[in-house]
Amino acid sequence: MKILAMILAGGRGERLYPLTRDRAKPAVPFGGIYRIIDFTLSNCLHSDIRRIFVLTQYKSTSLHRHIQFGWSILSAPLGEFIEVIPAQQRINEHWYQGTADAIFQNIYTLQQEKPDLVLILSGDHIYKMDYRKMITYHIEKGADLTVGAIRMDRKQSQEFGVIEVDNEWQIIGFQEKPEIPRTIPGDPEGILASMGIYVFRTEILVRRLIEDARSESTHDFGRDIIPAMIGKDRVFAFDFRIGDQGGNGYWRDVGTIDAYFEANMDLVSVTPQLNLYDSQWPILTYQSPNPPAKTVLLEEGRVGTALNSVISNGCIISGGSVIRSILSPRVMIHSYAEVEDSILMEGVDVGRYARVRRSIIDKEVHIPQGMKIGFNLDEDVRRFTVTGSGIVVVPKGIRL
Amino acid sequence: MKKKLLVVEDEEGLRLFYEEELKAEGYEVLTARNGREAIERLEKERPDLVILDIVMPVMDGMETLGRILGKDRKIPIILNTSYSGYQQDFMSWAADAYITKSSDLSELKKKIKELLERGRGR
Repeated sequence: MKILAMILAGGRGERLYPLTRDRAKPAVPFGGIYRIIDFTLSNCLHSDIRRIFVLTQYKSTSLHRHIQFGWSILSAPLGEFIEVIPAQQRINEHWYQGTADAIFQNIYTLQQEKPDLVLILSGDHIYKMDYRKMITYHIEKGADLTVGAIRMDRKQSQEFGVIEVDNEWQIIGFQEKPEIPRTIPGDPEGILASMGIYVFRTEILVRRLIEDARSESTHDFGRDIIPAMIGKDRVFAFDFRIGDQGGNGYWRDVGTIDAYFEANMDLVSVTPQLNLYDSQWPILTYQSPNPPAKTVLLEEGRVGTALNSVISNGCIISGGSVIRSILSPRVMIHSYAEVEDSILMEGVDVGRYARVRRSIIDKEVHIPQGMKIGFNLDEDVRRFTVTGSGIVVVPKGIRL
Repeated sequence: MKKKLLVVEDEEGLRLFYEEELKAEGYEVLTARNGREAIERLEKERPDLVILDIVMPVMDGMETLGRILGKDRKIPIILNTSYSGYQQDFMSWAADAYITKSSDLSELKKKIKELLERGRGR
């Protein structure tokens, strides 16, 4: 069985601004050393899927570099590849108009590969999943399309595409972000949310994409392709719990700064929901060669400490304190500085006596001596992005 | 008003042949020698239907088909070729009809009529 994965990595991630000011959402750093797309790519490799196209279009330089540096690990002579395809405007002179359009515009690539099945994934989500289980299910059901589905509370229906299934889990309805959702049979408080994961029989995929391309449509899998297939083709939902490698239903879209912040902060808890320590399912990434993290100074009132925190390689905590925070590589904390409940990305430098609280500091920002961030939101909002729940985001490269 | 057909064909003799035959059917006929010319004529003269050869210099029919759909997703397109193998190409499925070239144009004429009657409102 020849399987090809196509990862949609062109999302703007506008609600993650300013983290997405210079990079596409899949390239946003996560958990100290990762980028969001590392989770999907790692899932593919552990699922023995080694023919992967990553479709990019928007602010893709950072993503290209990450994949080139970190993911050039497959063997081309064995027919394996992870290949980035930027929007080539081969059919249309516009950006991709929707998720389905992104695949349609690469129809010549599908032609070259001629897989039996196409696995369409999003590069935006954080989860651990064995796609082989979904593919087996797809084959057993004799499906034309199988959609990955996760149970959510019905109150969250307006955030998701909601799948309606019969008792055999054949999809009989699809609502995009409905106010009044169709619930799961036998579970009136639960809905099945689409995870944006699709397994298609290639021929059906191509035919439906062409039909969609030739009609007035938003060219989106959720809004257009799936609804058009229901009742016409064999369309099934796949229960994420069957393929969930974490075993606890962990799946995050991290679509907003607040959701992103919470998902990171989960990692500093004693037993995070997202287990990064599973040697059966390691998350791969690119890391530049940095020395191990270290803490220095043990003097009266001047102790380098890190508590309940994730500290990456190359960090030096020199006489300052870090509590409940995530430090990416090469972060420097100077004496008497205090960092609490924050995410500090690569190369951030926190000066002496500076204090940072409930903030996300993007790459290479130097916080001058004595500066306070996250203490006076009225003041912070004049210079930085402040979210509804009071998280301050300091953008990449800003000079303070 | 006369319906406007765009015939895309690199071989001059065939081009003239199609032009005369289709004019005799009461159509206005535009011609192009390759895909690139076809795109230009499509943009300027808004034909009602395109008859597209596949093996052509400069820009071939498969590439052109994609480009045409990028400009006008609903225009009827007939692939008209000497080779049947291109039906394996995914892009050929985007055409409304696939006809193997013949000196007898009755199948082509029938398809043109059918597609024009189906109209653009599909």
